Amino acid sequence: MAQKVPIKTTAKMKELMGFYYMMAKAAESDPEQKIAWITSGGPVEILHAAGVIPVYPENVAAMSGTLKISDEICAVAEEQGFSRDLCSYARTDIGSVLSGKGPIMGMPSPKPDFLVCCNNICGTVTKWYEELQRIFNVPLIFIDAPFQYGVKDRPEAIDYMEAQLRRMIDQVSEIVGKRFDWDKFMDTLQLSDRAVKLWREIQDLLRHRPAPMNSFDTFIHLAPIVTLRGTQGCIEYYETLKAEMLERIEQGIGTLENEEYRLGWDNLAIWYKIKFLSERFSQHNAALVVSTYTRSFCYQAEDRDPSNPIRAMSADYLAGYINHGLDFRERELWQMVQDFSLDGIVMHSNRSCRAYSFGQYELARAMEEKYGVPVLLIEADQNDTRMWSDEQVGNRIDAFMERISAKKR
Amino acid sequence: MSVEISELLKPFYQVFEDLYRFAKDAKTDGEKVAGYFCTYSPQELLHSAGYFPVRVIGGLGATPLADQWLQPFACSFAKSALQAGLSGDFSFLDLVMFSHTCDTMQNLAEIWRRRVSGLEVVIVSTPNLTEGDIPLNYLMKELERVKEELERISKVQITEDRLLKSIEVYERHRSNMKSLYALRRKNPSALNGEDMFAIVMSSFLMKKEAHNEMLENLIQSLKALPVKDVDKPKVLVGGSVCQVQGFIEAIESAGAFVCDDDLCMGSRSYVLPPIYDGNPTEILARMYLSRVPCPAFHKPGHDPASYLLDRVVSSGAKGVVFLQTKFCDPYAFNYPHLRRTLEKEGIRTLLIEVEQNQPVSEAFKTRISAFLETLQ
Repeated sequence: MAQKVPIKTTAKMKELMGFYYMMAKAAESDPEQKIAWITSGGPVEILHAAGVIPVYPENVAAMSGTLKISDEICAVAEEQGFSRDLCSYARTDIGSVLSGKGPIMGMPSPKPDFLVCCNNICGTVTKWYEELQRIFNVPLIFIDAPFQYGVKDRPEAIDYMEAQLRRMIDQVSEIVGKRFDWDKFMDTLQLSDRAVKLWREIQDLLRHRPAPMNSFDTFIHLAPIVTLRGTQGCIEYYETLKAEMLERIEQGIGTLENEEYRLGWDNLAIWYKIKFLSERFSQHNAALVVSTYTRSFCYQAEDRDPSNPIRAMSADYLAGYINHGLDFRERELWQMVQDFSLDGIVMHSNRSCRAYSFGQYELARAMEEKYGVPVLLIEADQNDTRMWSDEQVGNRIDAFMERISAKKR
Repeated sequence: MSVEISELLKPFYQVFEDLYRFAKDAKTDGEKVAGYFCTYSPQELLHSAGYFPVRVIGGLGATPLADQWLQPFACSFAKSALQAGLSGDFSFLDLVMFSHTCDTMQNLAEIWRRRVSGLEVVIVSTPNLTEGDIPLNYLMKELERVKEELERISKVQITEDRLLKSIEVYERHRSNMKSLYALRRKNPSALNGEDMFAIVMSSFLMKKEAHNEMLENLIQSLKALPVKDVDKPKVLVGGSVCQVQGFIEAIESAGAFVCDDDLCMGSRSYVLPPIYDGNPTEILARMYLSRVPCPAFHKPGHDPASYLLDRVVSSGAKGVVFLQTKFCDPYAFNYPHLRRTLEKEGIRTLLIEVEQNQPVSEAFKTRISAFLETLQ
């Protein structure tokens, strides 16, 4: 196998994220600079507009997972009575707070002045942030994004979101002690909108054969859209990445030397096994070219009205893949199969994430039986390595790829 | 216990012979029966649309059919309910109602809707934020929508008058259940935990009108009893769902007295402030939001630990047994905080992980006995 051509922009991301975490860490000792911890699907634009630095415990937990320090950090939370069956991000984060250990130069995230929790990604964050509120004794702003069972989002739910976001603006203004800057907010929404569109465009470039990067790369390049959405730096970053992808396409540089098979990925990354998985699939000339996970950060509501930005924002924060029922998820998966010419789908049945994982068996059956798309289910966990076996998963991948190649022949 | 009271308690125990005997009888008599998944489902709407609402409870035993659709890390309540649904055990139901609570239930509703055939599925988007006017407005609109959906399915018009009558029946029932919980505080020896569990379970499975009558007769007789404490160590049982009859029984046969509970299949369904004025959907919305919240919900200003501590102190419990259903995230997240708070006040706790589809194990009994020794 020829040496993979590395993605140059990755170095820029390390710089960008490093700078962001240094700045956030420095803000910890500046009483004027407020810090908020926020869920990955939270309405961060309000924080940027109010000059608050957002910190994402999920991102920090994933960093711990990638650095393979999450098991020992989780154990600290478990000693305090948090069940091992609970989400490993939550255990990693709570354990990090309790132990003072973390991935940012060995330290945990900078302490929050307040918390923002939006349950559009799961109900676990509700409970996790309640615990953070008890630990730090700071205000918790909670945004309840009703799960959309149907394919079409309900206008009443958008009304409900809008009322909550407007209240959040008041709450945040009160906490920072400043009038809310609506102009800056509108600018932030535009920056966010541009970043989201860029992130989608970049992922759509992976439709090209050979794909200029793979899903394992997109897992890594996800950090800015999660943590810096709404900033100029985020846009510049993705513009650079997009330009590099276009260049790779032009030069015919693929993620694999010989891309034979194209696969989709469902659910969170398995952070501590990205390299293993990437190599194993590469051995079969299979590229993972799209994932519901990284696309979750670029969902925009179908009938959003851009002339009413806060309304559009309210609709967008309901619109994610994981905030929807199975008919919606099935539609999205099938669309992905068609758009990205997939030969199969890999579903990470993630012990940490009941919200994402329950229903996968049903979706897998629908993909196989209704659409003839082979599906591989991998039972694992996003951060907790203790259930993992290289050999077992490797064998299953090999068997799955044999099935796909037999089907294609 | 007097003969009279044990006679009065007998009918409550009938449900354990066959949980759905009353529902099936009603169905045979030509009535419509609706299953509901948790007590946040607006049963008053079902009732006023002419349904006999009964709570969905799973059975004991393996769940091979449900295992095809739910991963091994799904809670045993979801699995046992889905197993019953897929095996046709609920074929006597005309409709099943889900109310949005946790991640597992939301996806179970979806799997159920797509896989369990032969009955209508109605899903209520109950807000997970349960304080203030914003969720109140949302829930009122949602209940209006559900009302219309039920009217369409049942072809019964839910007039304001009809709905108010149903609310009255249910309010009377809640008030009776509340009286019973209060009575246990005043006179612990009046009713043990096993009896109370039978009353609670039957309340989900019998007609509210009949249950009201039974409750009122019972309360009257219990009130006449002399006030007497019990000489056994008193414990409170905490948890989420609790559908296995044997749990409470086993705790008491080990020598404890279960004087109170903080369970969703228990006091959390019934200990509510009185209803408010307003139009019927507003009454319902306010009532559901005023509840001691399901652990999956966020109610600003509500601290589950101080609420529990109050119950423990006012019931005179010496210890708390947590029946933690495996993979029930909302309760598992509360647990460390609950334990910390109670232990700071010198109240002993015991955590037992349970499966809602398995009978009481020997290990369960042993752990209870050991715990009781520490309470002496």
